[in-house]
Amino acid sequence: MLLQQVINAISLGGIYALLALGLAIVFSITGLINFAHGELMTLSGYALLAALMMGMPLLPAAITAVAAGALAAMAMERVAFRPMRGASVTSLLLTSFAVSNLLKVVFQNAISARGKPIAMPDWMAGVVPIGSFTIGVGPLISIAVSALALLGLELFLRRTVMGAAMRAAAQDFNTLRLVGISANRVIAVAFLLSGVLAGIASLLWIAQRASVDPMMGFVPVLKAFIATVIGGLGSLSGAVAGGMLLGVLEVALQALLPPSLAPYRDALVLSGIIVVLLVRPNGLIPAVDTARS
Amino acid sequence: MLLSHPTIGRLVLSAAVTCALAAPSYAEDILIGVATAQTGGLAPYDQPSLAGFRMAIDELNAKGGLGGKYTAKLAIKDTRTDTAATITAVQELVDAGASIIVTPCDADATIAAGQITVAKRIPTLTFCGTAPVLATAVGDNLFGTYPGDNLQAAVIADHAYAKGFRKAYLLVSPDSSYTAQLPEYFAEVFKKKGGAVVGTGSFTMGQPDFSAIVTAIKALPEQPDLIMTAAYEPDFPAFIQQLRAAGVTTTVYGADAIGTATVQGLGKLVDGTVYTAAGYPTPGGALEAFNKRFATTTGHAAESAYEANGYEIGLILDAAVKAAGSTDPIKLRDAIAGLDKLPIVTGTITYAGTNGMPVRAVSLIEYKDGKPVYIATQTPAAADVPAAAH
Repeated sequence: MLLQQVINAISLGGIYALLALGLAIVFSITGLINFAHGELMTLSGYALLAALMMGMPLLPAAITAVAAGALAAMAMERVAFRPMRGASVTSLLLTSFAVSNLLKVVFQNAISARGKPIAMPDWMAGVVPIGSFTIGVGPLISIAVSALALLGLELFLRRTVMGAAMRAAAQDFNTLRLVGISANRVIAVAFLLSGVLAGIASLLWIAQRASVDPMMGFVPVLKAFIATVIGGLGSLSGAVAGGMLLGVLEVALQALLPPSLAPYRDALVLSGIIVVLLVRPNGLIPAVDTARS
Repeated sequence: MLLSHPTIGRLVLSAAVTCALAAPSYAEDILIGVATAQTGGLAPYDQPSLAGFRMAIDELNAKGGLGGKYTAKLAIKDTRTDTAATITAVQELVDAGASIIVTPCDADATIAAGQITVAKRIPTLTFCGTAPVLATAVGDNLFGTYPGDNLQAAVIADHAYAKGFRKAYLLVSPDSSYTAQLPEYFAEVFKKKGGAVVGTGSFTMGQPDFSAIVTAIKALPEQPDLIMTAAYEPDFPAFIQQLRAAGVTTTVYGADAIGTATVQGLGKLVDGTVYTAAGYPTPGGALEAFNKRFATTTGHAAESAYEANGYEIGLILDAAVKAAGSTDPIKLRDAIAGLDKLPIVTGTITYAGTNGMPVRAVSLIEYKDGKPVYIATQTPAAADVPAAAH
C-alpha cells in the first residue's frame, strides 16, 4: 500500500513538474506567467483526439498532439505576446488570461462545449505484479515519460548553444542580447519548449481522465502555478521540486485523511504551501535573479 | 467620477427608455426565462434539455400557444455553469417580466436562482436538478422535474441488492448536493435491505488524480463487490479509467448524470455500469417515438433522456397555463403544484401531494459493450424512498 501510494505520488508529481516547468521556462525569460498554458494542453488533447479519429496509431497520434502543442505555443507567442514585449507583468498576465478565455470560447463554439471521450488502449489498463503488489502500467508510463522529458530538457539546456543562451537569458536578458543572440529566437524556443511540455503533460493527463473538454486546462495550469510559486518563480529546478512536493502532498493527504476531513484536503494543501513560503519566501530553490520573484 | 447635470439627465432618460423597452410582454404572450448552462460542466445536461424544451415550445406555439392561448416567448441566457452568472441571468429575466423561470440541471444553481424568484413566487423549474430538498431549501415555487436523488437511489439500491451485491463502497464529493447525497441515500436503502458499506472515499470535483482513492480501495480489508458514486464528467471517466488501470474490476454503479454520450464513449471501461434515467426508448414505446420525432425536427439524434425531459417541461407548463387560465406567476405555481398524473412522454408526472419533487418512474440502464441496455422501469413504493436529507 505504501509503495503504491509512493508511486502514485511520483506519478502525479511528475505531471505537475512538467506543467510547472512549462510555465517556469517562459517566465524565467519573459517575466510572463502564461495562464493560457492550460489551453495548450487542451489543444494538444483535441489534436490527439483528431489524430486517433483519423485512424492513426497511438504513438504517431501522440507525437502529433505534442507537435500541435509546440506549434500553438509558438503561434501564441507570435500573435499575442510579442506585441506586448516589455509590457508590465500585470499587462502580460492579463494578456494571458485573455488568450486563455478566447481559446476556451473557440473550443466551445468550434468543437463542442461538452467532453469528448478518448479511449486509451487496453494495455495501458494492465498491471505489473511486483511481489504481492500490483502496479498499474499507466502510472509507470507516466513516471517514465515525465523522467525522460525532464532529462531531455536538462540535456538540451546544458549541452546545446541554444540551451546555454536560454539559461543566460534567464539570468540577464539584456547582456545576452549585447553579445549578439537574437531575442526573438530565444523567446520563440522558450515557448516551443513550453508547448512541448504542455503536450506531453496533456497526454499523461488524458491517459488519466479519458476525456477532453474545453475547460480541461484550468485545473492543471492552476496546479502548475502553485508548483512554480513553491519552487521559486523562474527557477527551473524549483519548478520540478515544487511540482513533486505538490503531488506528494495531494496524494499523502488523500491517502491519510479520514473521510470526515477529506473535504478540507485542498485547504490543507494550500496551508502547507503557505508554511513553505513562510519558511522560504523565495521558494524552495529560488531563481538566480531573485529580483524577478 | 463626478457627473455633470446634463450627463445625469441623459442617464435618467436612457434608463427610462430601457425600462420601457424591457416592460412585460404583451397581453396574450407569456415570457419564459431560461437561464441554463449551455457551456461548462453542466452543458452535457443543459444542452439536450434545452433542445427538447425548445421543440416543445415550438410545437405548442404552432397549436396556439401554452394552454392553447398564450404564445410562449423564450428569453434564453447561458449561465456558463457559474452560480454568480446564474443569479445575474435570473435577475435580468425576472426584471424583464418572466412568468416562469427554467434553471440549470443542478440543484445548487437552482437554489441560488430560487432566492430571486421566491419573492414573487415565480414558478422555477430545474431542467434536471435532482436534490429532493429543492422546495424546502427555498420556497414552494421551486419544482424538480427529473426523478429525485432519493428516488433514483432507492431504485439503484434495490437493483444492486437483487443482483447479489452485499458490500458497497461509496465515492462521494461534498462539492454538490448530487455527488454528496445520492450515494448516501443509496447506502440508507442498501443497508436497510441487508447490505453493508465497507468504505467511503471523498473527491473534489474536477480533481485529476484518483490514484490515492483507488489504492485505498485496493487495500480495504473487506473488498467491496460494488462501488456506488454520483460522480459525473469529467470525474467519472477519470475515476473509472484510473480504477481499471490499477487492475480493479469491481462493478461501478452511478446515477442519471452518467447517461451521456461521453460516458457511453468510454466503451469497455464502463462495461457493467448501471445508471438511471427518466425513461428508456424501448422499441415501439412512446420515448422511442419521441426520439424519432426529435431527430426529424432538430436534425440530430437524442442521446439521452434529457431531451425528452426538456420536452416534458413544456408539457407541464402547457397543462399549468391551461389549469390557471392566466400568466400570473402565483396562479401558475398553484396550477403546477396541483398537477396529478399528467401524461408525459415517459409516463405520468405528479406534483399534487409532493414538496415540489415529482413522483414519476425511474428507468435502470446498463452499459454493455459501449451500448446502453435496458433493465427495467420502476416507481419505488413511498416507504422505500429515503426521506430528504438537509
